[in-house]
Amino acid sequence: MTRTRRAGVVAIALGLAAAALLHGRFSAPPVYDGIVVPPEPYRWESPPPNLRAGNKPPLSGEATLPVLNGRVAGGGVQTDDNQVVIYFGPGTFKAPAGTQTVKCTIAPDPNPPPAPSGVDIRGNVYRIGCVAQPGGAPVTLASTYHLTLRFPPGAFKEIQVNDGSSWRALTTLRSPGGDPYASVNAPGFAEYAATAPTGAAAPSDSTFSILGRYAEFYGILAFVIIFGVIAIVQEVRRRNRRAPAPTNKRRR
Amino acid sequence: MIQVGLAAPRRAVGLTGLVLGAAFIRALLLPLGDILSTLVFGGCLLAIAWVERTAPTLPSPNVSNARLAPKRRSSGATGPASGGLESPSRVGILGSLVAGLLVGAVLLVPLTTGSLGARGLDGFWTWAALAALIATLEEIAIRGALYRRWSAEAGPVAAIVVGAVVFALIHLPRYGLGAMPLDAAVGLALGGLRAFTGRVAPCAVAHTIADWGAWFWA
Repeated sequence: MTRTRRAGVVAIALGLAAAALLHGRFSAPPVYDGIVVPPEPYRWESPPPNLRAGNKPPLSGEATLPVLNGRVAGGGVQTDDNQVVIYFGPGTFKAPAGTQTVKCTIAPDPNPPPAPSGVDIRGNVYRIGCVAQPGGAPVTLASTYHLTLRFPPGAFKEIQVNDGSSWRALTTLRSPGGDPYASVNAPGFAEYAATAPTGAAAPSDSTFSILGRYAEFYGILAFVIIFGVIAIVQEVRRRNRRAPAPTNKRRR
Repeated sequence: MIQVGLAAPRRAVGLTGLVLGAAFIRALLLPLGDILSTLVFGGCLLAIAWVERTAPTLPSPNVSNARLAPKRRSSGATGPASGGLESPSRVGILGSLVAGLLVGAVLLVPLTTGSLGARGLDGFWTWAALAALIATLEEIAIRGALYRRWSAEAGPVAAIVVGAVVFALIHLPRYGLGAMPLDAAVGLALGGLRAFTGRVAPCAVAHTIADWGAWFWA
């Protein structure tokens, strides 16, 4: 085996082994192109009849945050389907004395409290909670934390919180670019849901946005076809140019 | 030989700068949309590969053109000065593709331990075509032009390592520092595949397979 090939084999082995080890350690996307993978369909706890087929149940998420010197340094939790992400800044929690870790969970609620009148709940209701460990004592909040919630296609107005007594609207920031995510400063451990006024229609597409979508789709196809054809033609021409070349003579 | 080996690989460095520049332009264009920035990036890579394919490769007088390298391979590479012998013997097309498929499959394995996504095939083919196109262009630029240049001027090991570093760097704007080790590891494996097979196609195959897995398992 030549030196180049030996180097190749060693590099393949090292690279694959390192990739396998690193894959679980980093929450990095496994696409090596920088291309965004479109989000998968919304996972419904109770899907509308027309979406029942093919629906996958929503996933929960949990994380254990270490407590150092009586203080949680901060951290994040997200559901395994990325439909809910929460982030705690440093000093967000007040944990009881003796707390070693704080365990936070996000779980879809299969039996959520009814929506307030005039409001539809859009998507799932999620219950968010944190407890001190060991012991499971409740943890209180010193400040708000950041909550990002995905909502299904259709109407959306704001995120509301239910602390066990009633629903309350929160100041909501929608993600730019039409992404189906919205975020709030969550005031406590409670239930959260995306909501819209009853009967509200999904935002209609303007002519320009529809045109833009088509232009984007066909633009990609045109790019693939044009450059694919050019590449093939060039390769064929290059090979044709090389084919009649004189027989391989070694240079001395 | 030593002189050639120690000579500053200026053209290789310049080419590396061009590839990184393409990634920088992409990062600047990201606010204007993923599609636009990706297409401009792909166009830049294509232009780089296009220009490079006609450029002379070797500074060493004993090997004057990389294109001739595969045909002058009987003696094998003996050091950096013979880096122009980019692949002493190329693996056959079928064997190369099998190697590419195998490496792609191994890259998929860690993904498949996660939960299967809920995405169907709606929209997959357009996305897959774009991913395959960009993956192929990246491979043509990095494992093709860049590898050939670095291999000629500094040897195959340098070509593999530089390719892995460049591969990690061009993905930095999109995925951040956290993803760099993983991207570098994958770049190392793809560079190794290039060195082992002597071809770019298996690298494009492996890269594309690894990308496509993200649709189903990410």
